[in-house]
Amino acid sequence: MEVDREDGRSQNQLRPLACSRNILHRAHGSASWSQGDTKVLAAVYGPKAGTKKNENPEKACIEVIWKPKTGQIGKPEKEYEMILERTLESICILTVNPNTTTSIIVQVVNDDGALLPSAINAACMALVDAGIPMKHLAVAICCCLAKSGYVILDPTKLEEQKMKAFAYLVFPNSVRSVLPEGSLRVEGEPIENGIITSVTHGIMSVADYFYCLERGRAASVKLSDFLRRNLQQQSTDSSKAG
Amino acid sequence: MDARLANTWRLTLNEKNFIKTALLSEIRIDGRKPFEFRNISINFGREDGSAEVQLGQTRVMGIVTAKFVQPYRDRPNEGTLTIYPEFSPMADPSFEAGRSGESAVELGRIIDRGLRESRAVDTESLCIVAGKLVWAIRIDILILDNGGNLVDAANIAALAALMTFRTPECSLGGEDGQEVIIHPPEMRDPLPLILHHLPIAITFGFFIDENIVVIDPIHNEEAVMAGRMIATVNANGDICAIQKAGEGVSQRVIMQCLQLAITKAADITKQIKAAVEAYNSERALQKIKRETTCVGNSVKGDQNQTLDNKGISELVGKYMERLKLISVESYASQNINAEEIKSLRRGTDSNCIKFNSTPLSWDPYSKGVDLECLKASVASQGLSTASEEKEASGQEKGSEAESACPYEDVNSKWSAVDASTTEMHVIGPKTLKDAVKPKNKRKKKVSSMI
Repeated sequence: MEVDREDGRSQNQLRPLACSRNILHRAHGSASWSQGDTKVLAAVYGPKAGTKKNENPEKACIEVIWKPKTGQIGKPEKEYEMILERTLESICILTVNPNTTTSIIVQVVNDDGALLPSAINAACMALVDAGIPMKHLAVAICCCLAKSGYVILDPTKLEEQKMKAFAYLVFPNSVRSVLPEGSLRVEGEPIENGIITSVTHGIMSVADYFYCLERGRAASVKLSDFLRRNLQQQSTDSSKAG
Repeated sequence: MDARLANTWRLTLNEKNFIKTALLSEIRIDGRKPFEFRNISINFGREDGSAEVQLGQTRVMGIVTAKFVQPYRDRPNEGTLTIYPEFSPMADPSFEAGRSGESAVELGRIIDRGLRESRAVDTESLCIVAGKLVWAIRIDILILDNGGNLVDAANIAALAALMTFRTPECSLGGEDGQEVIIHPPEMRDPLPLILHHLPIAITFGFFIDENIVVIDPIHNEEAVMAGRMIATVNANGDICAIQKAGEGVSQRVIMQCLQLAITKAADITKQIKAAVEAYNSERALQKIKRETTCVGNSVKGDQNQTLDNKGISELVGKYMERLKLISVESYASQNINAEEIKSLRRGTDSNCIKFNSTPLSWDPYSKGVDLECLKASVASQGLSTASEEKEASGQEKGSEAESACPYEDVNSKWSAVDASTTEMHVIGPKTLKDAVKPKNKRKKKVSSMI
């Protein structure tokens, strides 16, 4: 069914993406990601000595600090920090630098919908810029379910508020490898069919949720391509000490 | 605790000696001369009141927001202005999240003294109902990258954000006339803040042993320097605030620094104003493009895909109201005296010409409070006679003008932006026919002024 979105996009169309790496000078890695008007800045410092309290010193530790655009840090910000932490912990190889902490600082520059997925994408790019070892990248997307039952991708803030339910989905990026195909499968399925994180708000039926997943996964392929092109184009800068 | 100490950045002795030895030959490690400022670039965000400043490697973002509060008891007619500096841990490995250190507090206090205590921001215009309701302006300063000299960069960011910030227009109404109605931006264009002058902070670093003073130190130099002075001055030569710390310096050196600060402040003021001008005209241009589509004029410009297009589709009367307000807004950074506006004006004639060439040759300079102005200004749509219009609309504002010169008229009007916008709602809905003013009427006005 044809859906009329305010900015003229189709159901499955994403907003224009823009990403730049290595924008800050003091941070070890930094990236800025914007989807339409939503813009997020991420910086990485690490690995630093020592882990946080109660963390396993045999593994590396990831610390996320979420900075909203204005105002105090409250419960929603803490929740975002936790989700980001768990997502990034699952994609980083934690055994390479044990007993270290990598800090990721996310700064919201402008919020126009799909904030958490943009932050996850920005954090991922910043980690690449810092040279933190990772298994694969994460691509995040937001899918909304409207009252009339159709699903749209990458909503703006106004659209998000009008929706019945929405889901933030994080998938591994599409793999292009020289290794034989068998070694990249997890339990018989290719890695990119997996899902790393899923956060839903609002009520949706199981069928709708799977439909969202399907759409999200298709969009994540496009995002992965964008990431790959972006990373290949930008030449890596020399190391920044101090 | 040990981990934190291990992670702080320290300058090595070799690096320190290198910096000091280079300074003996008046060379700085980034190649600048001692009294050279780094390049400043000012960018604005999507929303009003958000600016990002890059001073060399230092990157600071300033965000201005406003909300209603009750005024302080001892100042019932004044709004409030508070500064919230945030040293984000992304700027420097030694900045901690949460508690801000003493340097953050110091930065906040210096900027506060420059903006509030020197009365740069007009707080009386922020009053809505005396004693009950005023605007509380909040400036968040986010330090994104610490490349040295955070105070100067943060100050510029705060100023740029304040100059582009708009408060929604409020009026008293309701049954008893005591209710405050906030007009959404689609109905009435929001108002800019009034800034009397622009206080610019200039930081000096003193190196006592080498007997040298540098301006705008980078973070390496900050770790080496013996003393520091931050002078907040404005382009008129007024000293708004001075903060000096560290080892003692002779009086002669301080006086020299203050003189230099005033010169540099003039440069920086020009840069800030130019950036704000460019942003405002860009914004006005975008608004104009949006307007044309709804009235059905033949437009060549592409439709701007901003989201609040829906709010525009109203009566023609409101459309004309808004057209006027656009022109008001495009030069809304006029919280400065007429002199400076004149120089601005001359410099932006090119903008005027640019507007002429668009299909809707809307004259951004025509700004009117009464109907004649409106008709004159909208009439310029069909005719590309912007200069004529300027004069015409200039004359109509004769009552408020300070001098007879048409240019001055137009300029001085803008300093009374707030007063004029409140009168906008008086004009009822009109048709476009009313908008086209017969040419002879205009000429008459021109002659009457002279």
